[in-house]
Amino acid sequence: MSPAARARLERLLEAARGIRDPETPLGREARARLSVSTGLSAAGIELAISKCLETHPTEAELERLAASVESAPRAHVLLSANVFTAAHRAIALALAASEQVFVRPSRREPEMARLLLRGAPGLFTLVDPLEPEPGDALFAYGSDVTLNELRAALAPGVRLHGHGSGFGILAADAQAVADRARREELAQAIALDVALFDQRGCLSPRGLLLEGNAELAHALLDALARSFAELEARVPVGALAPEERAEQRRQRAALAFAGTALAAGSGFVAIVPEARALASLPVGRCFGLVCTENATEAARALAPAITTYGVAGSPELRARFANALPHARASAPGRLQCPPLDGPADPRPKASRSAA
Amino acid sequence: MSALSASDALHARVRAFARSGGASEAFADLALAIARFQAEHVPGFARLVALDGSTLDTVASIPAVPTDAFRLTRVAAHPPELDTVRFETSGTTASERGVHVMRTTETYAELALLGGEAALLAGRSRTIVALAPEPAEPPTSSLGFMMRLFMERFDGRALSGGSFEPAERGRWLASTAGIDVDGLRRAARIAADRGEPLLLLATSFALSALLDALAGDTIPLPEGSVVMQTGGFKGRTREIPKAELRSAVARAFAVPEAAVVAEYGMTELSSQLYEGTVPGVRRAGPPDVLLEPPWLSVVPVDPETLAPVPDGEVGLARCVDLGNVDSAIAILTRDRVRRRHGGIELLGRAPGAPPRGCSLALEALLEARP
Repeated sequence: MSPAARARLERLLEAARGIRDPETPLGREARARLSVSTGLSAAGIELAISKCLETHPTEAELERLAASVESAPRAHVLLSANVFTAAHRAIALALAASEQVFVRPSRREPEMARLLLRGAPGLFTLVDPLEPEPGDALFAYGSDVTLNELRAALAPGVRLHGHGSGFGILAADAQAVADRARREELAQAIALDVALFDQRGCLSPRGLLLEGNAELAHALLDALARSFAELEARVPVGALAPEERAEQRRQRAALAFAGTALAAGSGFVAIVPEARALASLPVGRCFGLVCTENATEAARALAPAITTYGVAGSPELRARFANALPHARASAPGRLQCPPLDGPADPRPKASRSAA
Repeated sequence: MSALSASDALHARVRAFARSGGASEAFADLALAIARFQAEHVPGFARLVALDGSTLDTVASIPAVPTDAFRLTRVAAHPPELDTVRFETSGTTASERGVHVMRTTETYAELALLGGEAALLAGRSRTIVALAPEPAEPPTSSLGFMMRLFMERFDGRALSGGSFEPAERGRWLASTAGIDVDGLRRAARIAADRGEPLLLLATSFALSALLDALAGDTIPLPEGSVVMQTGGFKGRTREIPKAELRSAVARAFAVPEAAVVAEYGMTELSSQLYEGTVPGVRRAGPPDVLLEPPWLSVVPVDPETLAPVPDGEVGLARCVDLGNVDSAIAILTRDRVRRRHGGIELLGRAPGAPPRGCSLALEALLEARP
């Protein structure tokens, strides 16, 4: 990484540290503005800032981040709205690639990019629209539909780094959930992963694949329901659109019909008959548990959409997941939404990214 | 009373109700009797009743089973060994397909025939063909099953003369090779020679493919002929607006637009709705309004609260279908509807819903051509 690129990243990190600190004017402004633009609860914003806004990466992590991009005469960033802290990483990647960075914030959530710019004046330029030219790099975040439209509309020679839809997954073996204390600990970690961004992020977990029997599954489901409710008492769910609430109600009824669905705060946790059904679970605080003899085989059915995974269990299960999902990030349960600042959050190769 | 005896008794009551045009007893009494039977013998439904805290004392209190449940699990009051048919919904993979199993098709068939007769036939015999692939044996498509039933019971003759043969060449006019336009011309000639109308059963997508194949040419049908059009395009690559398709089909067959009749059915239901535009039919109504038979009630409900929406407002279709004795008496669809002129106006699927529908099977089939 060149000294100039390192200096640009440092300025960005300094701005992020200002946002993170609730005592600074920028930190106070961030909390006020983000509560309006994100739809998350105030506690949800605080949780996301404290857990997911990476402000103290190691030098090795920054080196990896810089190595993940090619330098470009200009770098452009098209931001999505769902995970406000993702603007920080996206702009960091662009700054590592170029000294000229142009950012188009999401219309729904324009504040995070503005706040970062306020903390580092002149470091990049907010624009609308983006006008990438041949040779430029474009980092784009959005739905697969948006990315496909974008790809078709780009001038030849623009290097698109698209980051589309996806989700996280967890896995556990019987050993990890048989003991009550370990089960409760795992449930609390999952509740945290689920609560962050109200499951709207591409790293948000939708479910857990359990290599265990129905009795363990029900015990874990009970623990999850309690943990979700307890965390929601401290971190209320944000605003959900009417169609999102409708989908929650619909799917909870369908899953209750199919097996077991328990209220878990404002959302639900359910035994899901097969892994594929996890892909269509609604946002909010909704989580599925799949009982399976082979979690890695079940995960393979979802592999193109899995951005990250967390395993609670034996080293053997971890090794199997590393082999089955070589392009997904491995994180500990409770850390799925907190990847180090070492490159794109979603490391899947472009060909693997798919709608979820 | 055993579960099977109870089911048989309810089936008999439903058929009597349908034959009487809804006069044999109150709809609500029969619906609630079926709901209580299902609460006793369908564990998933019992869980929904408990979840809703329903006492099953009014039709509105019956929890509606989301159509998604048919994709996630078995929806039946009887064990798998008693299945006689397994009707599958459309879907690109097996795991995306829902299945509606039936222990007996007797009630389904009687309801389909009564409904079809009231909406499609005006008392004349007719030649019937389908712009659809020949159904598998045993059938996996409820639409294919119904089409074959109509051919057998409303026509009942071989196209070439002699006794009825469901797999007769020229009866099923769509396949992996595309639309059999020559076969359709031949069927039109046979009907004309017989001095009777043709009833053409088709999906919207098949009609669209036929129009492409005709490229502006026409196949005039005998006077009184009817085209039954079912299924939408539902997220497929090509979509023709409903009115435009109706108009183009009417032109292609030289029939009045009123003779192009929409049918609405779904795998998860045992009953169908039709427009009532065919002159002289018993169940009459304006275009674009789907009329329920007496044994089916469709109520637009708020997607979030599931409470009925005020008349004229858009909601999701909540169907209470007396034909679903052994599965789910109340179904929550993803279709947006509103009440209009004594029937239901279909406004497409709720946003974000996965594309599904009868037409998909045919499009997938045509896309699979080498």
